[in-house]
Amino acid sequence: MLKNTRKTLYLFYFVAPALLLYTVFMLIPTIGGMFYSITDWNGLNRNYNFVGFANFIEAIKEDPDFLNSLWFTLKYVVVMVVLQNALALLLAVFIESRTRFKGFFRTVFFMPNMISVIISAFMWTFVFTTVLPQLAEKTMMTFLDQSWIGDPRFSFFSIVIVSLWNGVGYMMIIYLAGLQGVPQSLKEAAVIDGANPFQQFRHITLPMITHAITICFFLTLNGAFKVFEVVFGLTGGGPGRATQVITMNIYEEAFSNNFRYGYASAKSVILFVIVLIITLIQIRITKRNEVEA
Amino acid sequence: MSTSRRLSSTIILVILILGALLALFPIYMAVINSFKTQGEMFSNILSLPTQLHFENYQQAFQKIRLLDSIKNSLIVSVIGIGGILLFASMAGYKLSRTSGRLSNFIFTLFVASMLVPFHSIMISLSRVAKNLHMQGSTYGLGLIYIGLGINMAVFLYHGFVKGIPRELEESAHMDGCGEFQTFFKIIFPLLLPITVTVGILDFLWIWNDFLLPLLMLTDVKNYTLILSTNMLFGMYNKEWSLILASLVLTAIPVVIIYAFFQRFIMEGITEGAVKG
Repeated sequence: MLKNTRKTLYLFYFVAPALLLYTVFMLIPTIGGMFYSITDWNGLNRNYNFVGFANFIEAIKEDPDFLNSLWFTLKYVVVMVVLQNALALLLAVFIESRTRFKGFFRTVFFMPNMISVIISAFMWTFVFTTVLPQLAEKTMMTFLDQSWIGDPRFSFFSIVIVSLWNGVGYMMIIYLAGLQGVPQSLKEAAVIDGANPFQQFRHITLPMITHAITICFFLTLNGAFKVFEVVFGLTGGGPGRATQVITMNIYEEAFSNNFRYGYASAKSVILFVIVLIITLIQIRITKRNEVEA
Repeated sequence: MSTSRRLSSTIILVILILGALLALFPIYMAVINSFKTQGEMFSNILSLPTQLHFENYQQAFQKIRLLDSIKNSLIVSVIGIGGILLFASMAGYKLSRTSGRLSNFIFTLFVASMLVPFHSIMISLSRVAKNLHMQGSTYGLGLIYIGLGINMAVFLYHGFVKGIPRELEESAHMDGCGEFQTFFKIIFPLLLPITVTVGILDFLWIWNDFLLPLLMLTDVKNYTLILSTNMLFGMYNKEWSLILASLVLTAIPVVIIYAFFQRFIMEGITEGAVKG
């Protein structure tokens, strides 16, 4: 009995600092957000009223800006998950297939990831608004002279380019590690059996790196839903609200537009629920396809 | 067979080189144009500068208050990372070694929040910070990073501790070491690999983070490097020579760190990803 109390006491000593900071800055805000989402709090007054699900109903039924941002984000998520993984895996396979300059290419492709997303977005703003038009003029590649940021038809594309530029390297590193784990003997056996490179990739490599695929899909899916900085730095959500993503819609609602904290909190809860459901589905599906190595 | 193999190998090399050029293109453009005057930039953006105009850098250095901004970023990072490493290693270790309902509950509590997007809590988090009178303080911001980053770190430490034999602590206890002594003298040094991993992941996150400092810091004096650059970008719209110089200055610290710690960074990412 005494030993047990002592054990609990030490558990408390070791865990208390972590638990305290976690509770104050993570747990309370999480629960607080859910609480505010059913109020009409404006962030300033002391008083607020409970409004039940009115905020949620308003967000889904009467807020075209929110729905547009949600739709835009979903489009972005699909495109990013596919392209980021395809490109990262392609680069990883290509680099791994070479005997020389492996380190050089790895270094170069990963480098953009070290630069803060918002700084990347500023750099690309320069490229899109100033470099490409001049390049178009000088090289006669007139298709480069577009309103890459100002025209909503192109700005989605620009946002994707910058996100890929910044993010592909990270996934590439994980895929490279996965590829290095594929036993050489398996590949050799496949070659002896007369498998061509595509068959080798499809039947040997791919099944052996399903764990890396699970991780990268999880990371890209999660990251894409939370996209903020790229859009903030590149288009600011504009022109108008044409490229506004869901995080930016929440930010604007709470901090720069109306200070409708309660309503913005409801939108935050919606974002959380969407991310949770889609992530759980994704983990389920990709895990099922994993083979035990 | 051998010619087709050589051909495909050449094609791969060409694709990789083109990709590398594309990856470096914006950085190269930013660097060479940061040394030009606005006029030279608009007459010839692609060529190397005819003359190095360091005054862009001089101006940017002052406008983003480079040294102060770096100091602020360092304060936030050191508090954030230091706190995460210390508190998460302690908690992860004890939670891993203690069985029972309470311990399981606390661990689950940490892990359960790992899927919560930051944007879902930022509104009430800013309220909490306001109520605690922490808004505007770099030290407070550091503490908030501990609170936000500790769940992942506890999870990683918890997993790592499982691989360390219990006999070590038991013999240390026999020799009369107390709980804390055992942890800091025997266990903590053994956690070094995972400490490096967590430290790197959290450094990349905190140093490069934008939205949380944007919400928390109110006074220009307390701005982190990223925030100062963001402010300059907004104020000197289209004055590219100044903006590019400040972007390059902002990128230099991470590029230096990348040059020195590349291997650790890549291993850290892989480790963190595989365990997470």
